[in-house]
Order: sequence, then C-alpha cells, then structure tokens
Amino acid sequence: MTPLLRVKDLSVTFDTPRGPVQAVRDVSFDLGHERLGIVGESGSGKSQTGRAILKLIAGNGQVEAGCIEFDGMDIIGASERDMRLIRGARISMIMQDPRYSLNPVVKVGEQIAEAYRIHSRVSAKEAHKKALDMLEIVQIRDHEKVYSLYPHEVSGGMGQRIMIAMMLIPDPDIIIADEPTSALDVTVQMQVLGLLDDMVSKRGMGLILISHDLGLVSSFCDRVVVMYGGRVMEVLEANKLHEAQHPYTKGLMNCAPRLKDRQTVLPILQRDPSWLTD
Amino acid sequence: MIRVQDLRVTFGKGKTLFHAVQGVSFEIKAGEAYGLVGESGSGKSTILRAISRLTADWRGIIEIDSVPLSHRRDKSTARKMQMVFQDPYGSLHPRHTVNDILKEPLEIHRVNNRDSRILQALSDVGLSIDLRFRYPYQISGGQRQRVAIARALILQPEILLLDEPTSALDVSVQAEILNLLTALRRHHDLTYLMVSHDLAVVGHMCDRIAVMNRGKFVEEISAAQLRDAEPEDAYTRQLISASGKYDRETAKSFVSFD
Repeated sequence: MTPLLRVKDLSVTFDTPRGPVQAVRDVSFDLGHERLGIVGESGSGKSQTGRAILKLIAGNGQVEAGCIEFDGMDIIGASERDMRLIRGARISMIMQDPRYSLNPVVKVGEQIAEAYRIHSRVSAKEAHKKALDMLEIVQIRDHEKVYSLYPHEVSGGMGQRIMIAMMLIPDPDIIIADEPTSALDVTVQMQVLGLLDDMVSKRGMGLILISHDLGLVSSFCDRVVVMYGGRVMEVLEANKLHEAQHPYTKGLMNCAPRLKDRQTVLPILQRDPSWLTD
Repeated sequence: MIRVQDLRVTFGKGKTLFHAVQGVSFEIKAGEAYGLVGESGSGKSTILRAISRLTADWRGIIEIDSVPLSHRRDKSTARKMQMVFQDPYGSLHPRHTVNDILKEPLEIHRVNNRDSRILQALSDVGLSIDLRFRYPYQISGGQRQRVAIARALILQPEILLLDEPTSALDVSVQAEILNLLTALRRHHDLTYLMVSHDLAVVGHMCDRIAVMNRGKFVEEISAAQLRDAEPEDAYTRQLISASGKYDRETAKSFVSFD
C-alpha cells in the first residue's frame, strides 16, 4: 500500500544573527492510515517537522528535502497557490492552545462555518448547519448555544473540541496535531484524545501527533518517532516501547516519576554528543 | 509547623463572587513534604497564595509554628517561608543578573556576608559560579529554576512553598530539579508544601497528599496508599486512571464531579 505521506531527508534551517541553526536534520518517515507520534523534548525539532509538511516555516527558515510526497504531489516544489489548496482541505493542523489559535472577536461557530465555506462552495445557511452538526460530532452539548459564544467564554477543553471541529469540517486526509492536549487537565486530555481517536478511525485519516509526552503518545499511537536535536533517534512500534534500543528513548522513559513505584532518586538522562554526529 | 484551619478564599463580589477555596484544613509537621494535587480551578495554588499572603481575601486560621498569620506580609515570616513559582521564565527579572536576583533578598533583610551567601546558594543548587553575572535569557530553563530555588533558599528558610516547580520543564530536566529538591530537603531539614497537577510528581516528592476538586479536599492520602492501594474516593480514582496513559474505554467512562 502506498503511504498517505512520504517524508524523505527533511531538513529545516533558520538564518539567525549568529549563523544558521539547523532545527531539523535528515528526517524521514512514512505515514499511512495510522496514528503516528513524534516525540521529543523542547528543541528536538518535532514541531518544525510538522510545520514543514505544510510549509508553515517562519520567513528566516528554509525547508530542504529529498521529497515530501503527498497524493502524487511533491510539496517541496508546490507553489503558495497549490499550498493553499492543500492546507486545511487536505492536510490540517491542530495547535496547542485554543486560546491563542482562535480569533477572539469572532463567534466560535462562525469560525467553524468559515473553515467550511473557504474550502467548498456552499451557502451561508448550509455552512451554518454543517458547523452545528460538527459541534455535535465533537460531543459538545447544547451546540446551538455554544455556536454563538466567543472564544473567551469557552473552557480549554471545549476550545480544543472547537479547534478539532474546525479542522475536521473540510474532511482532510491528514491531521497534524501539535501538542493538542498539553494545555488541558488530565481528564479533559483523555476525552479530547478519545475524540481524535474516534475521528481518525471512523474517517480513515492519517494522524501525526506531536508531543513531549512519551508515555501518553505510545499509549495512543500505532508508531512513534523519537527525535532529539533535530534528528530521528529511532522509530518504534508503540506497543514495543519497552524494547527501545536507543539510550535516549530509554533515558526519557526512565526519568519520569512513576505513580506505582517509588524511586528515591530519579535516573538522570545522560546526553551523548555522538547522537548528533552519526 | 504549618496549620491551616477552615481556610476560605473568595474572588470578586456580588454576582461574580467566586469561592475558590471552601473551608480547607490541614496540618504539616516539621520536615514533612505535603502535596496538593488537583485540576485547574481546584484551588490548590490559591491555598499557596493565601499562605504566602499574595492573596488578600482569605478567612480562617493559618499558623506557622503556632503563630497565626496576619493578612499583611511581614519580613519575619518571609525569612521563615519562601516560594518557588511555576514559570522560571516569568519569575526572574529579565534585566537583573543572577547575582542581582540573589542579592535582593539579602539587602531587604539586611544580611551580611552577601558574597559568601551567594556563592553558597549557587553551589547548593548545583550552578557553576561563572553563571553568577549572567542574565536569565542567557541560561536554560532548568538553570533558571535552579536560580529561583537558590533565591528561595538564600535567607535560609524552614519552609518552601513550591507551586508547580517543574511543570514548565522537559521531563529530563524535571528529574534533575526533583532530585535537587529531595536532596535540599534532607540537607537543610526543610518542610515542603508542594502544588502540582501531576500525581506522579506529587507521589514521588511528598509523604502525604491532599486531592482537591472545586475548592475542597476530596481525600487526604499517604504516598504509600497512593502507590499500593486503590484510593477510596471516586474522583481520585478517575484522576489516577487519567494520568499518563491513554485508554479508549477509560476515556469514555469519565464523568464530571461537581
């Protein structure tokens, strides 16, 4: 089966006053109709990898790759015009904090309807109805009322459901979720993940979940890409995490405190400079 | 060491009156580490802010060493009790060097031997002395939190109030800071009151833990109980099942506790 998305030798470099900084180096992976996790600590390049797929890199950044192949197209060579047809409609992105990614002065329902109207020629009335349906699908009770709320009037969990509704409404093939639940309480986090889980399996989409939380990602995803310093350390089947070979993955797993067994001293992750050379 | 009885904190007035903490009581013995855990809005940080008198509208009794606290902050309690905040990016003055940050409490409290105190505090938290004249933006997040801990320790307090001290840090850095806090408690015989949303972190650091929901304690349990037994309260059990691992069925079974 051909993968939905094929990324080969992706690098992202930023020009800074102190010289070029390579945030992502030679990253390759395939995405099928599955849940793929990208895990790493801050500065590992996980978010820039996700953004590079949609060419959402800041002005001083440069994306280079052997190829980023999606549906027979090479995203690397695509024009801005082509990208506008891909972003949202074919590949969409869910950001971390709904408080900053929703427009604060537009009603949330209208923002969802807008996402639909931009990508398909429908009347305002149809878009309104579709947005209401979508709110129901993401399990918002009282969706008529929520439609006309402003972002500051909804909780973090509800905000993230609204974001998901907005990203799903054009029916994309791939969703990239960048820390979609990090700003949420643990129980809400589980419910939002449950929702993403349902959406992905029902609609047969591909999901890339970017997160710093190795435990969470491995319990949610099918496969996990572990990144450090802009490079891929290893790619694992999520249920074989305990068989991880790379010392970084093992170190990351061990240094988190565990609820069910007490360690007097937590093991410290020893970083090896050779991880970044070969 | 710390005794809190029937603490109530409200925000706003009239129609917008909000009861953030609704009658909470607990005691912490000298040398103990006590944890408050709960989700956002549960009132856990508000308790800490009331004890440190950063919040004015509280009622009830807060005693430190059997002396009731007034609503005004005073120097003698500050000397006994210091706070470490969540965000080391926000809690350090961006235009002050590490040296300025550590010197300020010494100046306010007219303490002598400032040089040696600063060097001692830096070594206590495992920072090298060549960071002494750096600015916060020149050092990493973990190093910043070490500076915040050094600032809290420089007056040699007996109590540290820790408000989510590692939640802004990567897990590998979190491990280093938690180990540091454990070692400091042992060396300086400190009493900790720690607030966190992370059950595993609180279970690792604390002897006793209060689970909070909507301004009230739902349960007070020992760390050993948390590890080895099923907690009695349904809310605590749900919090545990939501920690760390995703499971489709568990996620569907969640209910809201009002």
